[in-house]
Amino acid sequence: MIGMVCKDILVLRKQMLYYLFFIAVYTVLVVAGVFPPSILPAVMVIIGMLLPMSSFGFDDQAHWEKFAAATPAGRRDIVAGKYLFALLSVGVTALLVLALMAALAVLGLAEFAAAETLFSMLVCIALSLIFNAITLPVLLKFGAEKSRIISIVIFVAVFGGVMLLGQLADSAGVELTLGPWLVNALPMVLAMVCVGALVISYFVALGIYQRKEF
Amino acid sequence: MKNAIAIRGLRKDYGAFRLEDVSFDVPGGAIVGLIGENGAGKSTTIKCILNLIRRDGGEIALLERDNIADERQVKQDIGVVLDESTFHDTLRPADVEAILRRLYRTWDRALFAAYLEKFGLPRNKLIKEFSRGMKMKLSIAAALAHRPRLLILDEATSGLDPVVRDEILDEFLGFIADEDHAVLLSSHITSDLEKVADYIVYLHRGRVALQGAKDELLDTYGRLACTKADLAAVDPALLAGSRVGQFGCEALVKNRREFCRRYPGLTVDPVTLDEIMVLTQKGEESK
Repeated sequence: MIGMVCKDILVLRKQMLYYLFFIAVYTVLVVAGVFPPSILPAVMVIIGMLLPMSSFGFDDQAHWEKFAAATPAGRRDIVAGKYLFALLSVGVTALLVLALMAALAVLGLAEFAAAETLFSMLVCIALSLIFNAITLPVLLKFGAEKSRIISIVIFVAVFGGVMLLGQLADSAGVELTLGPWLVNALPMVLAMVCVGALVISYFVALGIYQRKEF
Repeated sequence: MKNAIAIRGLRKDYGAFRLEDVSFDVPGGAIVGLIGENGAGKSTTIKCILNLIRRDGGEIALLERDNIADERQVKQDIGVVLDESTFHDTLRPADVEAILRRLYRTWDRALFAAYLEKFGLPRNKLIKEFSRGMKMKLSIAAALAHRPRLLILDEATSGLDPVVRDEILDEFLGFIADEDHAVLLSSHITSDLEKVADYIVYLHRGRVALQGAKDELLDTYGRLACTKADLAAVDPALLAGSRVGQFGCEALVKNRREFCRRYPGLTVDPVTLDEIMVLTQKGEESK
């Protein structure tokens, strides 16, 4: 499994540098006041979703999976490697964005409420993980090319749905506020939802992949 | 080790194509050539051996262990080269090593470095800048660097120039110098197999049409070139296939000596693996 993660990191190192540059540009734009600081967690969500998807694209191009399945790693490590890489993509990007935001706050380059920022970070991390939990089995089943449209539909359904709900609430004059008990419980609720979604997703993906023919 | 690979009654049904009752062995210390026309079932057989596809029946033992029950353990001792380079263009040979040494417990860094040097492969050059021959050499270096006991190669020499092919074939000959090693090499370039193979398994339409020691096959079988009238007079039981052309006929004789004894007036020439394949196929088509 470590070999598989190592492969993804080595294959995607150039993309990772692009994404780092992407984050740097957005940070400058936040400092310049072009974007609010909340843009950074949104950038994190995009990177956390795109990196694992890109890894499938490169694998398909190289016909890697057929070879990997013929090595001692086998199907189980290929699947586990993809999940670990997705977790690392989301985790490392989230840590980087958190560190950046903390630096901006300490240096007085941007102003934002710490509690609100942490809250939005949590929601963004959860959204990235849930998106990966939904798309990884699809990517493992169909590969990057065929999954692209399915992934876009999932992306639009999840994020479009959230935005639509917000707009509907706005237009109906409903103020969406979370009770203090929910705010306190939210990290735990999100963690449980993410862990549950990823565990179910992993076993579904493993079942799919064990039956896959190369 | 008696047999590095033992396959019995292998079946795989794709609907339009079926692999039926395929049985053969790859003995230790030998190179077995798997030949056959495109779509004969060579790659399907290799995929079944490597558990890349599910078989519908039969048994496969690799290094005297079941290929599915002991898959992870047995694959530690197998080197695999597929028909195309399976390493990403954005990687370098050094990266390939960084990945594979985490997959194979017995990865030998010095051996990999020695193969890179031997094959003239720059360690830090991007694979996308490699020629097809260089990519194939890298695949072979990667397959050998964990000191496998069994090498499985699917069309590994196709599309390569004769010089590179010769270099690679020499490597296989060096590999089986150890009696504990074996090679299964699928190819439709039969001249390569005539050069290095000890045994031949000829797959035709998903079945084993012919198998045996290469020298024995080439010694036993023969090519009859004659007229239509001569061919008509020959006992069909002695022939494995024939081709009737505008200017003459060709036939594959099953037993050259027996045939010459019965038909001393007809000339039977030595045969090549290519001719065995083509004439057997023609024989099947005319049935």
